[in-house]
Amino acid sequence: MESVWQRLRSDGYGMLGFYIIAVFALAALLVWSGLLGQSWAVVSGGRWESISSTHWFGTNLLGQDILQRTLFSSATAFEVGLSVTILSTLLGTVLGALAGWFRSSWLDELILWVKGVLDSIPFYLFAAAIAFALQGNRWAMHLAMVITFWTTTARIIRGEVIRLKQREFVEAARAIGLPPRTIIFRHVLPNTSHIVLVQATIVFVAAIKTEVILSFLGLGIQNGVSWGLMLAESSQEVLAGHFGNFAAASIALFLLLVGFNLLADSLQDAMDKRRSVS
Amino acid sequence: MVVISCALLIWKIVYKPMNKLPYFVRRLLFGTALVLGVTFISFLLMVHFGPDKTYELIGKNPTEQQIAEVRHALGYDRSFLLRYGSYLRELVTLDFGLSDSSGEKVSSMLARSLPISLLLVVPGFVLGNGLGLILGMLAVWYRGRWLDRLVTGASVAGMSVSFLIIIIGLQVLLCTPHGLNLFPVRGWQVDGLASYLFYVTVPTLALVLVTLGYNTRYYRAIIADESEREHIHALKAYGATPYELMLKHVLKNSLVPILTRLMFSVPLVLISGSLLLESYFGIPGIGQVTFDAITSGDQPVLKAVIGLTGVLFALALTVNDFLYKVVDPRVARS
Repeated sequence: MESVWQRLRSDGYGMLGFYIIAVFALAALLVWSGLLGQSWAVVSGGRWESISSTHWFGTNLLGQDILQRTLFSSATAFEVGLSVTILSTLLGTVLGALAGWFRSSWLDELILWVKGVLDSIPFYLFAAAIAFALQGNRWAMHLAMVITFWTTTARIIRGEVIRLKQREFVEAARAIGLPPRTIIFRHVLPNTSHIVLVQATIVFVAAIKTEVILSFLGLGIQNGVSWGLMLAESSQEVLAGHFGNFAAASIALFLLLVGFNLLADSLQDAMDKRRSVS
Repeated sequence: MVVISCALLIWKIVYKPMNKLPYFVRRLLFGTALVLGVTFISFLLMVHFGPDKTYELIGKNPTEQQIAEVRHALGYDRSFLLRYGSYLRELVTLDFGLSDSSGEKVSSMLARSLPISLLLVVPGFVLGNGLGLILGMLAVWYRGRWLDRLVTGASVAGMSVSFLIIIIGLQVLLCTPHGLNLFPVRGWQVDGLASYLFYVTVPTLALVLVTLGYNTRYYRAIIADESEREHIHALKAYGATPYELMLKHVLKNSLVPILTRLMFSVPLVLISGSLLLESYFGIPGIGQVTFDAITSGDQPVLKAVIGLTGVLFALALTVNDFLYKVVDPRVARS
């Protein structure tokens, strides 16, 4: 992993992405520890005030400070992104590894079937259905994303495990009689870590983008504020010529997504080189 | 747990002899299992765990008997499997009953709105994929040079913009007095080519912009893979012209992944794309119908849309497997 990190260090775009993410992560940490963005719901000014020294980005329809809301939203983005990424990556890695190791067995077919079924249902409708079934539970959105996002990770890991199973070190591990569980989790999966990492950054991007759409559809964040909710608010405001909410939310969202996309790209490049050397 | 272990047992018993069946029978069985799974999950979520409509349809102070009557009319007193069976019948006969909110027949709502959605998304779909393919080929041809870097950089930027931002931004720029004010903010009164272009331009631009980044990247990767093959290098060495090389040899051999992508994105673009575009631009297509059904909890409509798109997607998956087999017979042997 160290050489990957070094390669990443030498990639200007990748580091730019890394620093962008770091800045947003810092903002999210400060929000979580109660130091930043705490007055996102406080009415501190008049309706649609323009940019001033007290309201750097102006105020919204209700007179809430847009900067505070933008900052708080970065914590929301990380909450959604991290929870969805961690859970769906875990699920996808384990199921993908099982499917790949026991290739063409009933377990593989079962996992592929579940994956096919979940891929066949249009996502936004699936999210709506989950929200219905859970009667407006605030984790319905996260759950819908975790349930559907693991499939891509599983497909990629499955292919990689099938490939790795042919290698000598796995054959050796099987020859000395290690149980499949040990081989899969101790020997095979650690060798897929680079793919998992790249895929995780892609899932993170998908989670944040999906949150925006779901919040616009009224299926997203419920207690709190997010860039998606700010954009939903702004969809009416822009017609009246008030661009504060729209500009703040879309710039913040764009920057964070560019950060992740740049990082994902250069991670992929760094890993590729490593693979071709070994 | 009992259900799961029973299912596993059946799976094992049915599964063993299945391996001996010919390839296409196996795929067909898998396709059937997919359709059953999709309908089962949408039934489970929408109907079994879905909201109880009894008390919305009943007056104040109902008697026990009135409640029982309404529950009977809704089918709540029947067993799980019977209700699932009637949902399957609804899907086959395309008869989903009446919408909760408008009282209109669901099938006629879909028949009315589907053509509008097709008119809305087809130009964006064609342009988004066509441009993506052209840009992908250009990037590969000028690989590593400034044009490639420009295209790749622009697609990363394009992938980082949310659909919602594109829609709102284009609307402000093209449809309001704050921008050029050339096109309508909302609506869909189409009665000829001029009015069609008038209403479809901005949604089409939005659809192209949101898909172009992903498409370009995907097609670039595919074309790049194909261009690395030995026979392409050989042709290049023999002095084949760029057009001949790209169109006749690279593009033709990349047709399978390209067609796969096109086929799989049709249901997604049709539902997910039209959902946002239509609810935002006030276009009475299938996306608007679905959006209204989501916000008002209109179960018959949602059931119909989820079930039908799921079945269509599962069918596309199966047809795709067959096509792969036709194009590349080695697939069946693995």
